[in-house]
Amino acid sequence: MSHLFEHKGAKGQGYSQPAPVLPESVIALPPSLARKNLPRWPRLSEPEMVRHYTWMSKRNFGIDTGFYPLGSCTMKHNPRVNEVIAQIPGIADIHPHQPEHHIQGLLAIFHEMQYMLEVCSGMDQVTLQPVAGAQGEFTAVRCVQEYFRLRGETQRTKVIVPDSAHGTNPASAAMCGFEIVEIPSRVDGRIDLDALRAVADETTAVMMITNPNTLGLFEADIVEASAIVHEVGGQMYYDGANFNAILGITSPGLMGFDAVHFNLHKTFSQPHGGGGPGSGPIGVKSHLAQFLPGPLVAKRSPVGDESQMAIDDMWYTWYQPTHSIGKVQQWHGNAGAVIRCWAYYRRYGRGLRTMSEHAVLNANYLRHAIHKAAKEAGVDSMVKDGAEAKVAKHEFTLSLQPAKEMYGISAMDVAKGLLDKGYMAPTVYFPLVVPECMMVEPTETESKETLDTFAIHFAEVLKIDAETLHAAPITTPVRRVDEVYAARNLCLRHPYDDE
Amino acid sequence: MVDQLPNLGREAEMLAAMGMSSIEDLFEDIPAEVRMTGDLPLPPPQSEEEILADARRLLGANVAMGERVSFLGAGLYRNYVPASVFQLVTRGEFLTAYTPYQPEVSQGMLQAMWEFQSLISELVGLPVANLSLYDGSTAAAEALTCVVRVHSRKATQKDTVYVSELTPPDRLSVMHNYCQGAEIKIKFLRHHADGTLDLDSVAEAAGSCGVYIEQPNPLGILDGGLSQIKEIVGEHTALIVAVQPVSLGLVEAPGQYGADIVVGEGQPLGSPITGGGPIYGIFACSKAYLRLMPGRIVGRSIDVDGKVAYCLTLSTREQHIRRHRATSNICTNETLIALMGAMHMALLGPEGLQSLAVRNMTACILAKQKLSEVEHIVLPHSNSHHFNEFVIELPGSSKDCLAHLDGIGIIGGFDLSAWYPERTNWILATFTDQTSAKQIDLLVSKLAAWASAQGVSA
Repeated sequence: MSHLFEHKGAKGQGYSQPAPVLPESVIALPPSLARKNLPRWPRLSEPEMVRHYTWMSKRNFGIDTGFYPLGSCTMKHNPRVNEVIAQIPGIADIHPHQPEHHIQGLLAIFHEMQYMLEVCSGMDQVTLQPVAGAQGEFTAVRCVQEYFRLRGETQRTKVIVPDSAHGTNPASAAMCGFEIVEIPSRVDGRIDLDALRAVADETTAVMMITNPNTLGLFEADIVEASAIVHEVGGQMYYDGANFNAILGITSPGLMGFDAVHFNLHKTFSQPHGGGGPGSGPIGVKSHLAQFLPGPLVAKRSPVGDESQMAIDDMWYTWYQPTHSIGKVQQWHGNAGAVIRCWAYYRRYGRGLRTMSEHAVLNANYLRHAIHKAAKEAGVDSMVKDGAEAKVAKHEFTLSLQPAKEMYGISAMDVAKGLLDKGYMAPTVYFPLVVPECMMVEPTETESKETLDTFAIHFAEVLKIDAETLHAAPITTPVRRVDEVYAARNLCLRHPYDDE
Repeated sequence: MVDQLPNLGREAEMLAAMGMSSIEDLFEDIPAEVRMTGDLPLPPPQSEEEILADARRLLGANVAMGERVSFLGAGLYRNYVPASVFQLVTRGEFLTAYTPYQPEVSQGMLQAMWEFQSLISELVGLPVANLSLYDGSTAAAEALTCVVRVHSRKATQKDTVYVSELTPPDRLSVMHNYCQGAEIKIKFLRHHADGTLDLDSVAEAAGSCGVYIEQPNPLGILDGGLSQIKEIVGEHTALIVAVQPVSLGLVEAPGQYGADIVVGEGQPLGSPITGGGPIYGIFACSKAYLRLMPGRIVGRSIDVDGKVAYCLTLSTREQHIRRHRATSNICTNETLIALMGAMHMALLGPEGLQSLAVRNMTACILAKQKLSEVEHIVLPHSNSHHFNEFVIELPGSSKDCLAHLDGIGIIGGFDLSAWYPERTNWILATFTDQTSAKQIDLLVSKLAAWASAQGVSA
């Protein structure tokens, strides 16, 4: 057990620095400004620091470590050339306030990304500024809010979300000041059109929904749902969390949506880094484009001196939408993430459809393989589909409710058992409409052999007796962590001896 | 794309196992009326080599700050990040992990983030820190909504916060977007002509939910008056201070003069500027704000064997549990960049941080000394202490001056008319640990020549 604050080496030895340009004595801060006590940070030499973080990395599970079927999170392989590209000084060492003629290459990539996301989503204008999916939701709902304000439709105070929606949907709409109306899903998790009709009225501003839905099923009634909302003058918002299932096959635009966010870190493989960064661009139809946060990138022919500095004979320029809501992040969003996702999309180009086809192929294959393996192991009575459906899309749900009723084995027990088999566990207890839910998303970057082996291991876990499984995991760096203890005995920072 | 899809060419075999004959069978649930017809209007797939070549061509066409002599900062600062930080942060176990929902296999990142919270807490002098928000602006905006949640009930100026009138418009715009939904009124604190805070205007903020002020302020000024704010506004009005974290190697930690919340752009610790993102926002607070603060928090706990173990805690504030009643909609944050910050802090140690602050501040002092001797140039706030940057008042348009410097390979600073439209002859020039005495001499001589030419033509 290593601990950063155990290191109490000599002064400043971890990082030798050049001398300052003037002696420290010239600083002379008055007592009202000068720091009295330096932070009680540890002191590490470089070898100690490298070993500490390497040791910790070995106690962490990533896609590189093993199969990561975390439903709703699209944990696909992160190609390493994208990291190489993100370190090129032409992005790493760029300041957002540099003039346009310093960043033509960056703007060209931004423009290409705006265009790519527009054609994939069927939207008219994309902004790359939001830095996470939730911020994309917030930004799009803000744009719709300003759209209605400009039209004088201030009676539109409600946002409709299905009860199976991600928590960020109602949270983002509430941050904009909207009242949330939650509508129940049908038993298969699909949208209940009658429930929608019952709440949609002239006070409706937006309906937020994802398709495929959070159970991994395509909402065939989506056009009808869009019509119901548009009929009362509301706007349709597409949560792009599940976009990996539909690229080149269908689009939010074709389904009748007015606005959409993209989770670039999911669909386009920006590494998620243990919780972030992400990137959450949004796309909108033309009637909402003037409200987007600026600046956006346009291209035109170069004028005057510009022709000497132009790339590809085009000039890329910032512009502000006329009724912009302003900014949601102070700079130009997560430009470094956008660059990585550009490199990822270029690998597929017009073949992005093949990516989605394989995501869906792998999900359905794994769903089938799990049921087959469970049957062969004689444990098929313990697990059932989260929802009846002939085909799923990029992810699917399982219910461990039978295992719970028969043996007291919960979805969490199975999840912990899978950790012992060397896997990241699928998402558990979401969506809430499925009892003892496990949500599985293999992504397109896993081989058939990995899927087959996982299915067999899944069945093996179901065969483990309840008592053993309650004690799982046993092979991990620590065993089941006491979350109640953490909340009741709050320890949120290193306690010093005198505290 | 071939190298990314292990099952390419094996579709038939996999479909057959499911009793299907074509990929199309997998999409039979998507109605024809919403099907895309034809290929996406995009270029053909590229190989890794081709993508890298295009990236080098396009990004190579940009002017990286390091290629020039640069004095541009204004909120983001070019500091040296040690090589080991980049080496370690790209380890796949950190890089390719998701949010640590399964703590048993995520102890590495959880511990690293708990250590990050500890490092930030010590740095700013407050007991609680979350594991990052998106950037300094969203951290500031979330601080404003947080203080309203905490203080509005007892406030005499309900739903009202005060922010410094110097706050850059882009940051203020983020604040407005985050605050408008809760109908929070943003009023302004005034500054004197010398750039310091007008403490009389702070008195007007007493009884509001909170005041937001930056140290150093947007003009680079270190303002000793901030230490009096808490006494003026009282315990029911929160003091929010935004910091440049490196400055805290020399400048007092805001927690020591009564700050309730400290926010800031974490970028100078651990991260390159990267066009403005991904970077990370710092958010730290006193215990009174703990249960209404935004963002993820790691707690130290034990496992079933009593071993020390870490996990996410206080999640009932968050969107995945509390939905529309959550303290914030934030889910994804900037964990990996915060990890870079933690690594940088770990390498610096207390004295290393102080040395880094000294290097930044002395570069600023040297530039100030030399520029104060240049004819036709005025340093309007020269009586104050500065960190990283200060205002240079020119005998002509800042736009013209910066264009002139750009033409001779110098990124001369930030044109302050972008923030304060009436200041058409102010630039904000920035000096960091990466600024050499030679570069300062170059700026001084070129500015002197330009200024003197203005004098002649005027």
